[in-house]
Amino acid sequence: MDDAPIPEPQVEVRKGFRQQLDDLRREVVREAAMVTEAVTRCTEVLLDNDLDGAQQLIEEDDELDFLSLEIEEHAVALLTLEAPVASDLRAVVAALKMNGEIERSGDLAVNVAKACRRIYGVQYSPRCRGLIERMSEEATRLYRFAIDAYVEGNASLAGALDDMDDRLDELHKDFVQAIFEAHNNDEIDLQAAVQLALVGRYYERIGDHAVNIGAMVQFMVTGWMPEHTGAARVRARREHEAERLAGLEALAIDGAAGNGAGDDGGRDAG
Amino acid sequence: MIWLAVGLVIGVAGTASVSYVLARRTRTRHVTEDHDRDEQLAALDDTAERLERALDAIPQGVAICDGSGSLLFHNSTGMHYSSARHGDALVEAAIDDLLMRAVVGEACVETVELFGPPRRTLVITAVPLHPDRIGVGAVAIIDDVTERRHLEAVRRDFVANISHELKTPVGALALLAETLLDESDPDVAHRLAGRILTEGHRVGRTIEDLLELSSIEGEETHVRESIPVHEVLAAAVARIGPAADQHGIEIEVKDIAHGVVILGDRRQLVSALFNLLENAVKYSPEGSAITVRADADRDMVDLVVEDHGIGIPSRDLERVFERFYRVDQARSRETGGTGLGLAIVRHVVNNHAGEVLVTSREGEGSVFTLRFPIGNAAFGTTQQGVS
Repeated sequence: MDDAPIPEPQVEVRKGFRQQLDDLRREVVREAAMVTEAVTRCTEVLLDNDLDGAQQLIEEDDELDFLSLEIEEHAVALLTLEAPVASDLRAVVAALKMNGEIERSGDLAVNVAKACRRIYGVQYSPRCRGLIERMSEEATRLYRFAIDAYVEGNASLAGALDDMDDRLDELHKDFVQAIFEAHNNDEIDLQAAVQLALVGRYYERIGDHAVNIGAMVQFMVTGWMPEHTGAARVRARREHEAERLAGLEALAIDGAAGNGAGDDGGRDAG
Repeated sequence: MIWLAVGLVIGVAGTASVSYVLARRTRTRHVTEDHDRDEQLAALDDTAERLERALDAIPQGVAICDGSGSLLFHNSTGMHYSSARHGDALVEAAIDDLLMRAVVGEACVETVELFGPPRRTLVITAVPLHPDRIGVGAVAIIDDVTERRHLEAVRRDFVANISHELKTPVGALALLAETLLDESDPDVAHRLAGRILTEGHRVGRTIEDLLELSSIEGEETHVRESIPVHEVLAAAVARIGPAADQHGIEIEVKDIAHGVVILGDRRQLVSALFNLLENAVKYSPEGSAITVRADADRDMVDLVVEDHGIGIPSRDLERVFERFYRVDQARSRETGGTGLGLAIVRHVVNNHAGEVLVTSREGEGSVFTLRFPIGNAAFGTTQQGVS
């Protein structure tokens, strides 16, 4: 840190921009850390029936909202005042979009805390408790990987998040099954069962947000997003459709039946 | 004590480091300076480096900033909180915040609780570098108090729990006896006497376990013999047999290599394994199975007890080996344990230079592993070993 060379005067302005970009990244990392903490905390609150903890968590969400707004302001200021291009532009846009994902994840953690109040006093099976713990750990793990990928600019790790999320999805399915069983065995009433199912859904969504962050990181590093593949398919399909229509039109004008129709039929079936 | 030392070092080092950094900067700027100047700088570098090393040797994190709040120096522990991510990023934010306040002359302390995992508690203290002059800079000291807090909790809970475990049955005994004194109905008297007996047994068991625990703690120099692992397993499994049958639980003993030997006290080893099996039986549903096995490699042998019971919540996992610690106070009377079983296990393992590991998940079950170094006589060699 001390060994940083003294910058030349003419790049001073640009260094200011670098510094701002760095600060923006740091803010996003901090926001994500707040969410990761909140996920672990909300799980503890839920499993311990800790109403005070739930209240505290709900109130502390304001801090997250505040930071989220700050990030948005800083990102917009960077976009408008510095007019970044290429990878710098992608970094700012990625931060802006990640900010939305992270903020929403924080809300989901708050939802878990609120669910704690709704199912206060309900005794549910150790199996359900164990699965809640597992889902929480898995969601936190995904989030940590997403942020590691972001900080390191590691596009392959970011891309792997989608596959990693499968485990959380599996746990979510098991959890729903466990809730059904608990309800069938009269361990929990319908109201608690619904609340628990929602809790499972919250964790699953947090995992999805982590995957979305991964997509943003991929975009930031490579300029490519998983959605681009789908978009390219749509574009190809549309072009093909336009060609086919143009062909049909030409045939109709000629007033003759062509061999091309058979080809098209084959492709549709494929 | 530590604080005094830290304070002293930082008092000197803080200002020195600032000038050290400035000195380095200056050096880069004026590459061709005269000889005297170079020597001065070298001397300064020496002092600064010594102070830097001294600060690095402190277990606490140290971060020093200049008058504008820009960070100038982190010691090696403090570096964890520079450009940090995850939980450390929140510590970094707190440090920045406190330093900004300290720079304008306000000394402040904040406790940061991180839920991790792992769970951590850090106390951050920030003070201005100069008590009277504002704008010199500030220093933040980051102290990880997780272990200290944990020990405090252990001590506090131990006192509360031991009084609960001993006073409750004794109180019940007195109350039952008092009721019995005024009772004329023989049926009720009989029932009361039964209760007195139960409570008497309960307090008796607790005292027995306490005595066993203290005897294990005291036994340092007893004679060690070579004990084949399969014998330890067989003895413990035979002892748990009746209780397992009563609960309809099957105990499955996996094939164990004969000839694996632990050096130690047979009674203690059997008692440790028995305690694990007893817990497994207690906390498993009827009709489930418990697996016992011994895995040996070159140096270590693992005695593993795996159940499919209710499991242990993760927040309690590291505390279950404490005396009288209970995951669920309400259940303790049902299961009839003394709360000392796992404390005994831990002591036995410590006595044998081994370790005890646990992994568990609520609703899925627990796996307890006792890991011991293999005795010299392992795999058919003599007890003295071969050269």
